[in-house]
Parts: sequence; C-alpha cells; structure tokens
Amino acid sequence: MLNRLAYKLGFCLALALLPLLVVAEDFRASIHGISMSVKNHFYALSADIDYPLSAKANEALQNGVPLYWDIDIHLQRSRHILWDKSLVAKKLRYRLQYHALLNMYRVIDENSGEIHNFSTLPAALELMSSLRDVPLLEEAALVQEKQLLIALRVELDRNALPLPLRPIAYLNRQWYLSSEWILWPWTK
Amino acid sequence: MALDKMKPSVNLSVLALFGLVMLLLQLMSSATQESSELGEMYSWLLVVNVLGSVILLWLVGANIYTLTRQLKKREAGSRLTTRMVSLFVVLALSPAAIVFYFSMQFLHQGIDSWFNVEIDRAMEDALELSQASLDQRMRWHLRQTQQMAATLAITDSQMLTQEVENLRDLAGASEITLFSRPGKIITSSSVNPGDILPSLPNEDIWLRLRQNADYIALDPVANNELVIRALVTIKSADPKYLQVLYPVPVRIADLADSVEFAFLRYKEMGFLRHSLKLSFSLALSLVLLMSLLAAIWVAFISIRSIIAPVKALVKGTQAVASGQYDQKLPVIAQDDLGFLVESFNEMTQRIASARDETRIASFEVENQRAYLETILANLTAGVISFDANYQVRTANQAAYRIFHIPVNVLIGRTLLSLAESESELAEPLKSIHRLLEQADDIWEQRMAFLSHNGRQELLCRGTPLFSQDGARVGAVAVFDDVTDLIQAQKNAAWGEVARRLAHEIKNPLTPIQLSAERLQHKLAGKLDIMDASMLQRSTATIVQQVEAMKEMVDDFSEYAKPSKKQTVAINLATLIQEVLALYVLKSGVKFKARYESGALIINGDPVSIRQVLHNLIKNALEAIDSNGEIEIGLHRVQKNSTDFIQLAFYDDGPGIKDEHLEKIFEPYVTTKAKGTGLGLAIVKKILEEHGGTIWVDTSRKTGAGFIIQLPAYSPSTV
Repeated sequence: MLNRLAYKLGFCLALALLPLLVVAEDFRASIHGISMSVKNHFYALSADIDYPLSAKANEALQNGVPLYWDIDIHLQRSRHILWDKSLVAKKLRYRLQYHALLNMYRVIDENSGEIHNFSTLPAALELMSSLRDVPLLEEAALVQEKQLLIALRVELDRNALPLPLRPIAYLNRQWYLSSEWILWPWTK
Repeated sequence: MALDKMKPSVNLSVLALFGLVMLLLQLMSSATQESSELGEMYSWLLVVNVLGSVILLWLVGANIYTLTRQLKKREAGSRLTTRMVSLFVVLALSPAAIVFYFSMQFLHQGIDSWFNVEIDRAMEDALELSQASLDQRMRWHLRQTQQMAATLAITDSQMLTQEVENLRDLAGASEITLFSRPGKIITSSSVNPGDILPSLPNEDIWLRLRQNADYIALDPVANNELVIRALVTIKSADPKYLQVLYPVPVRIADLADSVEFAFLRYKEMGFLRHSLKLSFSLALSLVLLMSLLAAIWVAFISIRSIIAPVKALVKGTQAVASGQYDQKLPVIAQDDLGFLVESFNEMTQRIASARDETRIASFEVENQRAYLETILANLTAGVISFDANYQVRTANQAAYRIFHIPVNVLIGRTLLSLAESESELAEPLKSIHRLLEQADDIWEQRMAFLSHNGRQELLCRGTPLFSQDGARVGAVAVFDDVTDLIQAQKNAAWGEVARRLAHEIKNPLTPIQLSAERLQHKLAGKLDIMDASMLQRSTATIVQQVEAMKEMVDDFSEYAKPSKKQTVAINLATLIQEVLALYVLKSGVKFKARYESGALIINGDPVSIRQVLHNLIKNALEAIDSNGEIEIGLHRVQKNSTDFIQLAFYDDGPGIKDEHLEKIFEPYVTTKAKGTGLGLAIVKKILEEHGGTIWVDTSRKTGAGFIIQLPAYSPSTV
C-alpha cells in the first residue's frame, strides 16, 4: 500500500520535473573545428569556440563584472594500463570586460597582457572564439608517437567572480558556462 | 574506569571541534573581505562549513534519536536530560534568533541604503560628464584634424612629410600618419622619434571610416592611458587618409578613469545587491546554524555528563529497592553530585553490612533454634510449650509419639479444645490444662490413659513461664512415657516374688508331700478302715494340694525367668498353623485364620512364642463355649517407619469387663475360677522381651480381642 503510494508520488514528481529538463537551456561553451598543423617547426592547434552567453552572464558583464575564461589544452599520450600521460598542458586565460566610459568591450589576454577593444560584444567574443595556430610542442619532440590525444576545455573561472556571486554561480544553471572536456584523437 | 579515561579526550575533542567551527567561520568571514587572499577559497570554505553543519546536524539528530528512544523506554535520567536540553535550546535559541533577526534587518537595510536614486543619477551624470568632456575634446580634435586634412590636401606631395611634421607640432598631436587608399603608410610623424611603426587602425576602424568618411574615438592604450584617434579622408583625386593621435591629458584621463571605475563599481554593486544580501544572509545563517548546532551538541554531551551520576543514582536506588545492596557507584566528579554519590555508596554499604549482620544473627538464631528443635525432637520426653492463652506454641515429635496427635494439629489449640476431639485423652488433657492454669511453680503429676497401644502411664512435669517483668507469658510441660518403666518395675517385683516363692515355698513342699505319703504308708495298715480311708483322703488331699502348689510355684518361676533364650527367624503363619493343629481336633472350636500373603517372619525364641500362642488359645478356650469361634489375623503394619507383624486374636466369648482392662496383663488377675492368673502376664512379658507389645482391642464390641505387634524380621537387624 505504502509502496504503491510512493511509486505514484515519484511518478508525479518526475512528470512535474520533466518540463524543467526540456526548458533547461544549455549555455555551455562548445568547441569545434579542431585541427593541428605545423608552424615554424612547432605543432600548432587551431579551434573554434562558441560562447553562448546566458542572460545572467550578459547582465553581469554589462554591469562591469569581468568574466575570466580559461582555455585548457592538453596533449596526451594514450596508455593502456595506466592513465594517459600528459605531454603538454597549456592554459590560455582571457578577461572579458565592459568599459562604460568608452562603451566598449575589452578582451585582455592574461598571458601576454595584450588588450583588445571592441565596440560590440560579438566582436569581442569573436577574438576569444578563434584559436589560431597555438604552438604546443616542437616538431622534433614527437618523432615516435603517431597517435595522440588532444583534450580541450573552456572554463569560466567562477572563483574570479565577485564573492557574492560565487555561491549563485554554483547553483544557477545560467552560470554553467564552461564546456566539457573535448577529446580529439590526432593522428600525425 | 574506561569512561574516566575517555573523559578528558571527549572534553578535548569538544574543545577542538569548537575551535574548528570558530576557525572555519572566521576564515569564511575573512574570505568575504574583498582584499583577502582567502577570497579564492571562499567556495571551498562555504562547502566545508556546510559539510560541518551537516555533520553537526547529524550528531544532534543522533543524540535526539537516542534521547527519544530512551524516553520511550523510560530509562533513568532521560526525562531530566530532555528537560535540561529543551531548556538549554530555548535559552540558546531565543537570544540567537533575536540577534539573527535584527542582524538580517540591519544587513538588508545597510545594503539597501548604499543605493538610492540620487546616487544613481549622480553616477550616471558623472559618467556622462566625463563622456561629454571627452566628446567635446574629440569633436575639437576632429575639427582640427579636418583642418589639417584640408591643409594637406593642397600640399605638394614632396612637402607632405615636412608639412605633417609641422602640423603635428602645431596641433600638439602625439602621432600623425598619412595612409594611401589601401591603407599603406605614406608618411608618419611621431612625438617619440623611437616609434618606427605608427599605431595602425584595425579593420573595424577602416570599415567605419569608409562608411562615415570620418572617425574619431578614444583609444585606450597600455598603462591605462587614453589617446584620441582621429581619422579623416583627404578628399582629392587620389584620396588619402589622415590619422592623428592626440594625447588625452593625464589629469583628464585619470579623472575619467576614476569616474569610470566608481561608476562600474557602483553598477556592479547594484547588480550584486541581491547576491550580496543572499551571500551575507547565507554566511550569517551558517554562522548561527553552526554555533547553535555545536552548542546543542556540546549541551548534549555536558548534560549527559551532569546527568550520569543522577542516572547512576536512579539505577542504584532501583537496585537497592530490589534488594541489591552491593551497589558501588563511580564517583565521577568531586562536586555536589559526587558528594551525593559518595553518600549513597556509604548508605548502601551500611545497609549491606547491617543486612549481613542481621543475616548472620538470624542464621545463628536459626541454627540455635534448629539445634534446640533437634534436641527437642530427639528427646524421648514429649515437650509442649504454651502461650499466655494456653494455646500450644510448639510440640516435639516425642509428644506426637506419646499422644498420637500430629504436631500440626496440636499447634495453636488449647488442651481443652483438644480434649473435645480426643475422647481417650480427655481426662489427662483437662487435668494438665487445669494444672497449667493454676500452678505458680514447677508441678509434677502421674497420670494414665488408655491409648491404642493399651494403658499408658505418663509422668508430667510443668512450669509456668514468666517474662522479666513477672507477667505470665506461657508454660512448658514435659511428658515422660513411664509405662514401660512402671511395667518393668512391676515385672521385677513380680519376678522377685516368684523367685522367693520358688525358693521359700517350693522347698518345704517336698518334705510335706513326702511326710504325708510316709504317714499314709506307715499308718495305713494300723488304722481301721474308717480311719484309714480318712487318712487316705487327707494325705491324698495334701499331696494333691502340694502338687498344685508346686505347679503354681513352677508357673511363677516360669514367669520370673527370661524367655528369649535362642532367637531364630520364625515364620509366624507356619507357627500358628502348627499350634492351631493341636487344638482343632481336640476342642471342636471353630478357628478362622487370615494371613496376609508374603513373608510374615519375626526374630524370636520359638518355644516362648509358641507359649504365647498356647496361653492365648487356652485363655480363649476357657472363655468360650465348645461351639465358639476363634479368629486369628496376621498382617504386616508399619509404625514409626519400622515394620511390624501384627497378630489380631479374637474370640466370641463374654469379653473383658472395663474394670479389668487396666490390669488384665498383671499377674494374678483373672476373671476365671481356675488358673493362676499368670497366663496373660507371661504373654505380655514374653512379647515385651521380644520387643513387641500387646493390648486389648477395645474397638471390638463382641468377645475379647488382643492385638500383638512384633518387630518384623529383617536380616540386617540380626
């Protein structure tokens, strides 16, 4: 008797939650178009990233909250028994910020300190979107390996958000902007 | 003991936990400070604090669950613990809740007070002012640039470089660059001669320039500096583009930067207003929750340690109530409760020792009583004690043997009430009762009564019992069955008489008989017939009487001598059959014999036992007619756990008169004209010498009846 009631309740709850799953929009960044090439005796990575910013993130940006993005790049050698060995680990860090005085969007490459100003947000995002020929490893370093694995991820650094926003960033789906790890098998 | 060892560690762990809670809360509080290095750890600290709260909640929940179970089981101390914990929680919660409520109020109001319409407007205006100021400057620089473009449009191409240099100097620009249509640098002049490559406009700027013919914008450069970039088209047959970079004065740049920073900060704060409230509320709630939970948990622990002695005391009291005095409660602390526990221990110890003493004393008394009872039980004399109302208090086994009244019937009754139910004992019981009531000192009296075993002689001695203050509290009577003693005395007396008779009388009888015969012999021939016949009759009478006297004397000597000479196992049934065979044919009397099956064997002298039977049969034959009936029954009985063979002997004669009953077994008592009166006396003597008894069966209404009991033969007794 009690079991049946529990089943019914569970079913009702599942039905009630179903629309949430359908409505729940995905604001995660996505990575595509990954390719490797050799530039100046270096293996270089190119990829395209989409940043579908959520309304909340957009609002925060407009209100002067800087958004820090980390692009993690790993070049791994796949192993059978042990976990994959990381040959290269590279992190690109961008800061996206709104400039109220100039009504501009500014992208700062945290690694090089380069500043890029854009009058529109899509233009600013465009800069962060296209990874072009990021040097990873010297050509000479990879002689034997034929089959390698590239792991890529774009992450919004939640800990760089203003303090009061942090707990919310962990609870609200609108702040789930980081992409999953993308594994791309690369055959030389 | 183990609990004692654990106690400091529990206290330490409580202190450590409290310290940890405070540290975590402090860390979280520090992390909320904007400048704090802990800022990055804020999320982790939050998670750790939430986890800590969950652990504390679990601990408190577990304690509440345990307490509820204890309450349901009505365990000792559970209600007191509940009351104390409830009180503590209420006391801790009320001020904390009030403080929490007002803190939240102040917090929300405080945050809200940062923002209002005036500041909003001021901020917007400040930014607008900055923008307007810069706009004005930009417009002026655009006009200046357009003038420069007009000048350059008419300048000869060879003079361009020189003109550009001049114009830059005049305008105070930091850099002037002239581009051809595809964006190629024609000439460039910079205030800083080290700059080889001029600042190039990006695609976006080119696009906007082509669309609008002019471009003016503020460009941030490195080190937070601003430059005004102005681009105009030099309209001619071969259009050119002039880019002039004007430096923004440092003061204006700083002010604009400051305004922008403040504006953005304010906007950010405005945006984060709700998050800020939520975040602070969360932190505050977490602080309250953790402190409360920790306090409640510590309350549980400390209340438990306070209640522990009370609990032990309750259990101890219950144990004492159920009779366990060997309770020793541990003294946990040297406080009031510890003192109470010590007192309790002392009390139980004293009770235990008192109980032990009482037990030992009562054991001794019981031993003494048992010893006295054993003595009393094994006394041959019957001892009966009476209370103040002359009701029997105690009676020993010998009393039962004497009176044949079970001890449990005796107890609690007066002798008078016993006399009503025991008609045979009525007289002696009444007289004892009278003596008990009347005597003020030791009294002694002999009395006789007729029991199932025949006449019994009692020697009674009694004394009243007085308390220390002289009040009469009861009495004690001692009874000695002196039947056998008196009988023995009588027998001894009769034996002595018989011996004397044999000696004193039998001796002269033979000379008398011889002298009479001699007289007859000598004088018979010398006397005439008349005298001779008289002599004949006289001497015959003398001889006859002397013979009779001899016979009598023999009987006496027979009575006097011991009968149990040689004892053998005798089957009584066989012996009776043999004896009866002698009389059946001769007398014509009807004999009825009933024997119980099985061995009816006694240990005795066959000659004496045979004489007993002869005497009894002779006695009966003399009493009954020739067509009378004699009935003999033989069976086994048990008396005082000893086997007896009982012989019941009945005739249908005239019976024994009541006045003869008492002395029928004494010598020279006879109801017949003939006989010495020794028959039954000899029977009794023989039987007594064989350890047996004989008594008249008074329950028999017709004729006379004798009951004989002889110890049954058992090989071990031989």
